[in-house]
Amino acid sequence: MLVEREPYCLEAAEKQPLLLAELNGLTKHHQQHCQPYQQLLAAQWPAFVAAKQTEQLPYLAVRLFKQLKLQSVPDADVFKVLYSSGTTGTQSRIVLDSATAAMQSKILVKIMQHWLGKARLPMLIIDHPGVIKDRSNFSARGAGIQGLSFMGRNHCYALNDDMSINFEAVEQFCQQFGDGPVFVFGFTFMVWQFFIQELQRQNKTILLPQALLLHSGGWKKLQDQAVDNTTFKQQVLAQTGISKVHNFYGMVEQVGAIFVECEQGHLHCPSYADVLVRKPGNWQTAAVGEEGVLQLLSTLPRSYPGHSLLSEDRAVLLGEDNCPCGRMGKYFHILGRLPQAEARGCSDTFSSGAAV
Amino acid sequence: MSWTILNPATTKAELQQPFAEQDFAYCQALSEALLKAPQSRDFPDLIALGFWLRQANLKPLLAPYQQGQFIRQPLGLVFHSAPANVDSLFVYSGILSLLCGNKNVIRLSSRSGGSTTVLIEKIRGLADVFPQQNARFQLMQCDYNSAELKALISTVDGRVLWGSDQAIQAQRQLLMPAHARELSFGHKFSLCLLGAEQVLAADDTEFQQLVQLFYRDQLTFAQQGCSSAKAVIWVGDAKQVQQAQQKFWPALTELIQQKQPLNSSEQYQALATAQQLIMSSEQQLMLTQQQSISRLAVSSLEPGFIQQHQGCGLFIELQLEDLQQLNSMLTQAHQTLTVWGVDPSLLKSWLSTVYTGLDRVMPVGQALSFSPDWDGVNLIEQFSRKVVFSL
Repeated sequence: MLVEREPYCLEAAEKQPLLLAELNGLTKHHQQHCQPYQQLLAAQWPAFVAAKQTEQLPYLAVRLFKQLKLQSVPDADVFKVLYSSGTTGTQSRIVLDSATAAMQSKILVKIMQHWLGKARLPMLIIDHPGVIKDRSNFSARGAGIQGLSFMGRNHCYALNDDMSINFEAVEQFCQQFGDGPVFVFGFTFMVWQFFIQELQRQNKTILLPQALLLHSGGWKKLQDQAVDNTTFKQQVLAQTGISKVHNFYGMVEQVGAIFVECEQGHLHCPSYADVLVRKPGNWQTAAVGEEGVLQLLSTLPRSYPGHSLLSEDRAVLLGEDNCPCGRMGKYFHILGRLPQAEARGCSDTFSSGAAV
Repeated sequence: MSWTILNPATTKAELQQPFAEQDFAYCQALSEALLKAPQSRDFPDLIALGFWLRQANLKPLLAPYQQGQFIRQPLGLVFHSAPANVDSLFVYSGILSLLCGNKNVIRLSSRSGGSTTVLIEKIRGLADVFPQQNARFQLMQCDYNSAELKALISTVDGRVLWGSDQAIQAQRQLLMPAHARELSFGHKFSLCLLGAEQVLAADDTEFQQLVQLFYRDQLTFAQQGCSSAKAVIWVGDAKQVQQAQQKFWPALTELIQQKQPLNSSEQYQALATAQQLIMSSEQQLMLTQQQSISRLAVSSLEPGFIQQHQGCGLFIELQLEDLQQLNSMLTQAHQTLTVWGVDPSLLKSWLSTVYTGLDRVMPVGQALSFSPDWDGVNLIEQFSRKVVFSL
């Protein structure tokens, strides 16, 4: 099983056959246990038995988790349901049984340990403590923080409930742990808007020279402010002294096997996941360097048919097994989301209550 | 709450006699402004509107309503709510109401852009020369919950609501006077009926024309106009239909490849919609992906398709031996049936048995043409009062 292996050690020749066997197995599993998925295979891939390459695996448009409740386990086995953090429109619903949830946590830990080391580090969370309190309505932000807090100790929330910086807590954290390695985590936009920019505005700096900042959650809002990855890193360094800054890409539909940015600025597939890029229209796979829509493969989703998803993110594949950082596996760039398809007909959408 | 008049009135609006010369002149001037505008070239809907607004088109169209033993008078103050992003559709009903002598207030979506922006500019440009028409054709933007809108609706003699079912219901929360009329044009789903035998028998010229006309109906607005077909009904036996499909779709895809009407978001939308329909259907559907379009074979039209289908190059296909099989699948939401290669007399006798659904039956190529008869309602009759005079 790939989940037993280290995250970035497998060359394509070894990884691809193992990956293919597991994904073929998952396809069969979901075909047998999820009626809508079975209908999809019969309609779109009627001759499908088993893929000979990952390119041949059936894929599901990721937005279907917003429209349909898709699960491959009986209701009695549902352990928890994850919801996407999307502030607009409907949310994704991801149904987890205890085995899938446990596997997601295990793999997340495994990938994180590669970047953080095995010891639990003091952890500064760039968010407010309220974000994980409402357990009945678990947001993806809450779930992400909850999931990653296992990686740290002496957790400190850097923000107050009103999103202002809790300077007392932050200063105490820096005083106590600032000399050693620490783990800083937050969602990209939160880190930028409520922490880095706020420190800058108030003309303050903190000093965490040995920290590693991990952040995720999309660049859209930052791109709107014309903030790119380089600017982000420079500003983080200026305000906090943190030089190790890693973005990661993942989605609530495939929790666990996340894609972390290396020192070269490339997002890397771990052993348990892979990506393909497809060209809109004929949906054929794109060559290395060619732009398209990202398809995500993961060996973890067993309780819901999410092992092969067509995302709404534009991406470009950069290479496989040959990143200068030395890690094995495919690596890629995210270029942003597909723009919302504009409603051009009478069937316009209406967002409740608001002016259209 | 916000309330913005886009073409402020410089004079007080007064009701007019229906079909006044000066109102036709206003339409003619707007037509010329649109057809002359270089920006119109990017918007086929503006060109179509420009042609429709010509006096030479409108006068014959309205002539039948000026005869008879009735005296026609305006309805009064009419509120029109335009749908988001059906750029320019609002003008058709607004102009007909203007020509009926009414005072009109037209609410535009704050999301509207593209051709609507050009239209607003041209309408503003006519305000000086046609102050009275401009005052009777007021374009504005506002929130649904603005106090000004509430006050306006409480004084109207009629309102016209275009848009999604939800948008219409939301606007119905505002009370209008007891005597006022309401016309609502909600979400619709249209069909294209093709005779398999005729498609096979067509010579090259006829066939290429069919493909071009089909393209115009369905792909001008990325299959999202309410009268663009989302489902293709093939009549004929299974073998004929299969052969006709093999002839038709490659020719259409070739044209689509040339013209590239769909962007990558729309192509994603088509795929995602196809998968959604497949996974939520009660029947086993079959998907064929053909370069930039998708075809979904079904054995019946389900009510769920009506709301879920988002257009963008996804064609539901149904094969029927006999049109009667369609009757039970039709609902009030089924609007336009465009037809090619089916005997009109056969069609007419079948239509006499369709009690629910279908508001217009048009030749392929005419799906998007506007007429005063819309969704089963005559707009001229609704925008005016017929005064009985029987002395």
